[in-house]
Amino acid sequence: MTGDPVMSTLSLNGRPETARRPLRFFVFALAVLIGIGSLSARLFYLQILNASRYTTLAQANRTLLNPLPAARGLIYDRDKQALVSNVPTYSVKITPADLPLRRRPDVVATLAGLLGLDPADINTAIDSSSGSRFDPVRIASDVPKSTANFIAESRLDLPGVQIDVEARRQYVDGPLLSQVVGYTGPISAAQLRALRDKGYLGDDLIGKTGLESVYETALRGTYGQQLVERNAAGQQTKVLETITEPKAGSSLVLTISRREQQMAEEALKWGIQTAGLKRGVMIVMNPQTGEILAMVSLPTYDNNAFSRGISNSAYQALLNNPDQPLLNHAVNARYPPGSTYKLVTGIGGLADGKIAATTQLQTQPFLSIGETKFYEWNKQGFGACDILCGFGHSSDTYFFQVAGMLGIDRLGYWASQLGFGQPTGIDLPGEVSGIVPTNQWKLDTLGQPIFPGETYQAGIGQGYDVVTPIQMINAYSALANGGTLYRPQLVRDIVGPDGKVTQAFQPEVVRKLEVSDKVLKTMREAARNVVLIRHTYNLVDLPIVVAGKSGTAEFGLPDAAGRLPFHSWFVAFVPKDPQKTASDPMGMKAVDRTDSELAVLAFAYDSRTKGNVATEIVKYYLQMHYGIQEDYRITDLLQRGNFYQSN
Amino acid sequence: MGFGRTETARVRDWGNRPIGASWPAFDLQLVTYAVLLATIGLAMAYSNSVGPGASALNAGSTFARGLLWTGLAVVVFGIVAVFDYQWLRTFAWPLYLGQIGLLVLTLAVGTGVGGVARWILIGGMAFQFSEIAKILMIVVLASFLGSRGDRAGSLRTIVGAAVLVGPPLVLVMLQPDLGTSLVFGGILVGMLFMSGASLRWLGAIASAIVVAFPFLWANVLRDYQKERLTTFLNPNPDIQGSGYQLYQSQIAVGSGGWFGKGLTNGTQNQLDFLPVQTTDFVGAILAEELGFLGCIVVFLLFAALIWRILVAGWRSRDPFGMAFAAGLASMILFQLVVNFGMVIGIMPITGIPLPFVSHGGASLISLAAGLGIIQSINVRQRRAEW
Repeated sequence: MTGDPVMSTLSLNGRPETARRPLRFFVFALAVLIGIGSLSARLFYLQILNASRYTTLAQANRTLLNPLPAARGLIYDRDKQALVSNVPTYSVKITPADLPLRRRPDVVATLAGLLGLDPADINTAIDSSSGSRFDPVRIASDVPKSTANFIAESRLDLPGVQIDVEARRQYVDGPLLSQVVGYTGPISAAQLRALRDKGYLGDDLIGKTGLESVYETALRGTYGQQLVERNAAGQQTKVLETITEPKAGSSLVLTISRREQQMAEEALKWGIQTAGLKRGVMIVMNPQTGEILAMVSLPTYDNNAFSRGISNSAYQALLNNPDQPLLNHAVNARYPPGSTYKLVTGIGGLADGKIAATTQLQTQPFLSIGETKFYEWNKQGFGACDILCGFGHSSDTYFFQVAGMLGIDRLGYWASQLGFGQPTGIDLPGEVSGIVPTNQWKLDTLGQPIFPGETYQAGIGQGYDVVTPIQMINAYSALANGGTLYRPQLVRDIVGPDGKVTQAFQPEVVRKLEVSDKVLKTMREAARNVVLIRHTYNLVDLPIVVAGKSGTAEFGLPDAAGRLPFHSWFVAFVPKDPQKTASDPMGMKAVDRTDSELAVLAFAYDSRTKGNVATEIVKYYLQMHYGIQEDYRITDLLQRGNFYQSN
Repeated sequence: MGFGRTETARVRDWGNRPIGASWPAFDLQLVTYAVLLATIGLAMAYSNSVGPGASALNAGSTFARGLLWTGLAVVVFGIVAVFDYQWLRTFAWPLYLGQIGLLVLTLAVGTGVGGVARWILIGGMAFQFSEIAKILMIVVLASFLGSRGDRAGSLRTIVGAAVLVGPPLVLVMLQPDLGTSLVFGGILVGMLFMSGASLRWLGAIASAIVVAFPFLWANVLRDYQKERLTTFLNPNPDIQGSGYQLYQSQIAVGSGGWFGKGLTNGTQNQLDFLPVQTTDFVGAILAEELGFLGCIVVFLLFAALIWRILVAGWRSRDPFGMAFAAGLASMILFQLVVNFGMVIGIMPITGIPLPFVSHGGASLISLAAGLGIIQSINVRQRRAEW
């Protein structure tokens, strides 16, 4: 005992029954006070002094700012026919933060089984996600409804897995316009880094190529934001507030006409397939404005496969196809232009005064520079020729001489005037420039000046010359319209979600050619002469006036017989009101005008046909375009067989 | 040990025991405070049970089971209050053996989460016998301490009490249930103190335990126990891992403010951010939904309840009643401080329920039995004759 005061009571039998210790009761009461006091003090600290901090934390716990995707703008052809629609589809996503590591193998295996995917692909998708662990990662798109429902109902077995309804792009004509329209797909890590500040999300879809990518900003619209409540398992329990409504994207009205595109594709496919070829380009353009009415590149691919989520094997197959279907060969590839390039040499010679319209030059079986012989294509020549004759027959020795008079640098200057060696500025991604050889260019790239023979070659579109089909048709359009080089365009209007035009595209002049109208008139007549002298077979027999130039561009290495493979070109323009008239039986007055609203180009890669397949393709297209009932096509010309003998 | 020595004398005492009870002495306040606390507990269970498409009265809901247990607790209280508590002294030994039996049974067939044996399923309901064991322990200790008389201050009192507490405490630790074994310790200290044990010896033993602590830490405690014990000390806990409960609990408490978010409006509770909401972390719901003032009301109810229990002990005509009241008061105080302290992050995380408020049948029944004994002491007291 420690001297505690003790109060005792005596029981009836005199035995002390209990000892009461007031001090210890007091101490116990004090302990109660201290205990409850400490709890209260701490509660006061948490609930009163730090209330706002914890209220914020509780709010952050339970709420989530959810993006509200905006409907992506649509794409129409020039006649307002829809080329794409947004289709609601189910996609499967995983939020890595909500998927416990130890359950991940099971969940991935289950999903792989349900979706028919390789578990390794799912793991790769999760691990290569560039966002935070709280950003959902897309595992599969366009999942069947039954599968989506099953996954949605298996929540407990599939933690972190969610089903989203997403709008997928459904391209109405698929392969018809794939290389122009492009497609949308999941945003890449690099894109996300660049675009996160602009409101792009880790699982966002973005225009990957074609117009979908060039006009991404207009098409995307503005995403809205929604405040939602979620529980500890991450499931959304209710929508608290829509903070901002999404603004639908704007739509595009293209210069492309679906009808013209179908005709162009039909013509090109016919020519290419009949000749047993694979690769070709066809472009239809309005020379007065630069508007592209049709642009076909074969082989093509189905952009719907990409918007659905293409399998790796299918993608690899497209990448490994030697004819590169993913490229738009009209703008993304460059080819030797062959004789179509004689336009440059002709305009240059006339404009620089090296020749006049009436100047006669002697064409020969070949020209020599030192030991080297430069042959006429028919190895005979065409006698004395003026520009109409030389261009009409596509005489090589004629243009060797003009090129020699101009010199490589003036030739290059006129090529640049006509838009070669630089992007045309068409609103498609990945346009290539081509090469216009000059002394400076060769010094820079090969460390030597141009040799005289190379000037000859450059004058007929061989040697170092490489161009894109879009450059070529744009140059002939400038010829047809009287000397204005326009920027080729694919979009007429951008239309807001309310249907009002927010941006109307006007023709954009790149430059006025520094040549007199007389020079261009002469060259248009020369182009008409190509048709008139039946260099293009029976094209002259069409009831309409057509002017143009064919090209046979050699490339690669000679075969066993010493023959080089070649591409076929034909680029033509048709004057407005092209019907032949009694007052203008040759059509020369028609091409003197500068009112052409139709330029057409066909290109066939590695053709090696008996005749120029590109001419036949353009002819077929013109028949369809003008509703010409009689069929002028000469199928025999499309047989394989090297008509162009090299030496 | 004095425990056995007085047995014959006590049996001889039977003739002197009162045959009736003095029901005017029934402490209505004591019952009122307890009922209010249990009602708050039911309110918390209700709040946790309602939800979109879920009625709180659905069979098997926390609230429905809480109602059932509360009804049962009232019955138990009534029976025990009528019963003369003096008989408990007589049957102290069988009760002690019964207590140890229950704990052994729990170890043998008990179930629990994560490799622990803590509950026994009775008719599909989990029952935690260690809760019953705590009340039985108080009875047994009160019986022992009440028999010490003038020798209460000797070292033997402390040693004897410790020896009695030893086996049940070890059995509970083996489950393992660190929290409940700590409650045993709290009860022991509280009862020894109030029964007049030597403060010098108590101090010496306390010092010895402090010295031995590093050894206990290294050899007795399991890793998860150490983690739980230290989490609350860590200013930057791993909120996705071991610190998750504590973090979410503090958010719930802190966001409650003065008046709380209102019953059933606590987002931390309703959206399941709080783990073990209705049992160990019921205080978090309380603080979130009823606020600081709600908590203060609960604290005041606890203080009043403990006061009424101590008054019963003071008035008791024998040392058993006094010691029992001290034990029950110690248990309630200890659990209040440790449980609520855990919720608000000043005590380590242990599985100790908040008396009356936490959902749990065994805890409520045991407390009802304890209060029943207190009422039995009240109604069988003699007016103090000093």
